Amino acid sequence: METAAKPTLVWLEFQDCAGNTESFLRASRPTVAEIILDTLSIDYHETIMAAAGHQAQQSLAEAIERDHGKYIAVIEGSIPSGAGGAYCTIGGRSALEIAQEVCDGAAATVAIGTCAAFGGLPAAAPNPTGAMSVSDAVPGLTNLVNMPACPANGDNLAALIVHYVTFGRLPDLDHLRRPLFAYGKLIHDACEKRSHYDAGQYTEEWGDEGHRHGYCLYKMGCKGPVTYQNCPNIGWNGGTNWPVGCGHPCIGCAEPSFWDRMTPFYRHLPEIPGLGPHASLDKIGLGVTVGVAAAFATHTAVHVARRSLAGARKTASDEENES
Amino acid sequence: MSIEAEHIHMERVYVWEVPVRLSHWLIVVSLLVLSVTGLYIGNPFIPVSGEATQHFVMGTMKSIHFVAAMVFTLSVLWRIVWMFVGNPYARWNEFLPVSKRRLVGIWNTIAFYTFLHRDSPAFVGHNPLAGVVYTVVFGLFAVMIATGFALSAANAHMNAMLSGFQFLIPLCGGLQMARFIHHVGMWLLLGFAAHHFWSAFLVGTVERSSLLDSIFSGYKVLTPDVARRARKHIEED
Repeated sequence: METAAKPTLVWLEFQDCAGNTESFLRASRPTVAEIILDTLSIDYHETIMAAAGHQAQQSLAEAIERDHGKYIAVIEGSIPSGAGGAYCTIGGRSALEIAQEVCDGAAATVAIGTCAAFGGLPAAAPNPTGAMSVSDAVPGLTNLVNMPACPANGDNLAALIVHYVTFGRLPDLDHLRRPLFAYGKLIHDACEKRSHYDAGQYTEEWGDEGHRHGYCLYKMGCKGPVTYQNCPNIGWNGGTNWPVGCGHPCIGCAEPSFWDRMTPFYRHLPEIPGLGPHASLDKIGLGVTVGVAAAFATHTAVHVARRSLAGARKTASDEENES
Repeated sequence: MSIEAEHIHMERVYVWEVPVRLSHWLIVVSLLVLSVTGLYIGNPFIPVSGEATQHFVMGTMKSIHFVAAMVFTLSVLWRIVWMFVGNPYARWNEFLPVSKRRLVGIWNTIAFYTFLHRDSPAFVGHNPLAGVVYTVVFGLFAVMIATGFALSAANAHMNAMLSGFQFLIPLCGGLQMARFIHHVGMWLLLGFAAHHFWSAFLVGTVERSSLLDSIFSGYKVLTPDVARRARKHIEED
């Protein structure tokens, strides 16, 4: 790393909350100071750069022209396609236009955070701005890495950049273009509460005996069993802790369409469409099953009644004939 | 003259072969086991206290669920294979109504069940309406197997055979959606089981047919008219 030339990095923010920037600023292994001052030449980053306005725009234009085909592009936030891209413009140009230009000349593009990787919150139903992920907005990118999560872990991004600078290539990716080192395992499979899960010990409500004993949060709607991330291993804020470690269930923020599919966050299953958040699938299912049985019992009763009626009529007419 | 005097000579016809009956009962038992363990997995209702290392309730439930799932999957696959090699009553066209006679039979059966017709239409194997319902049930089986394998593939070790089914995860709309579909599917199958049990009871007692016995013995007791049709396999037109 020390002998490698300092590669250029440009960081674009579109429909975002700067949460991934905040997360990146807390990278600890290596620290963001080391990355910014020693490892990389970050030529454009709206939140941390000194330049503003036309100066800022100029530095982006210069960087992507000077290092065409060599720089790393990091995209934070989704890209709106509605209203001709008018929902997000910077310096009079649409996010779509900027993303296409910057990604086309990049050696590698990192879609940081769930919004950039999968569309995230802006793309959640009903998606009023037509928000798209980077892979949808700029199709055909061969060197794209998705690093979802809300926000993505700063240490994972630092690790990715260090890997790229050191080896000159991207790490192994899965079918959603996520690096396997960070997204190769379910949260559930590395969870510190896993033994409570297997034993059958669960938190039943907030602050109960089980919650205080650190029992599994499965029944509180934890999405760890359906979410790929290395949170339990790497931790947050310099490895201090992570959500499940401090008693809060995983909300599945690193998964595609998490805002639509993982809600309600504190329930095991998604809502039944059209029935609202309080409908219980098990109660409805039991009701239907009992209903079916009752309907058939009635049906049987009708049959039996008809037959005995027919039998009685027949007997009556037979008796008439005999007499 | 009483009803008893109307007795006519009935004939026994071998309808359900051993593989059909065996797969039927394996599916019944495995579905029961899968539903009980599945209900626990979806909402663990057994309180467990003490050291986690001393207990393995969820782990045991999941293990039983997986074994039952394998029995279920193989039984369903076996039954599908038998649809192409078994006797005429086990064949695929007993399920999918491709002949005109069976298409008309669907309506006649509905008319009988809704008290519009007094007489039940005579079919040796499945009646055409039941055939259509079982086609839907087999579709549900496929959905349950696909979502179940997707969920277990996610938990499987990297090199384990089951991890080869990870391609199913995006097809299900992600793991959380797979969970949801799997859960809804269980209730649909339990609803079907309630319907199936009752209709078997109904057909067995009210229609005084031998259907209920036939899934144990394989034999149906039929009127000479229907039995003749059975011998000639007229149902296969």
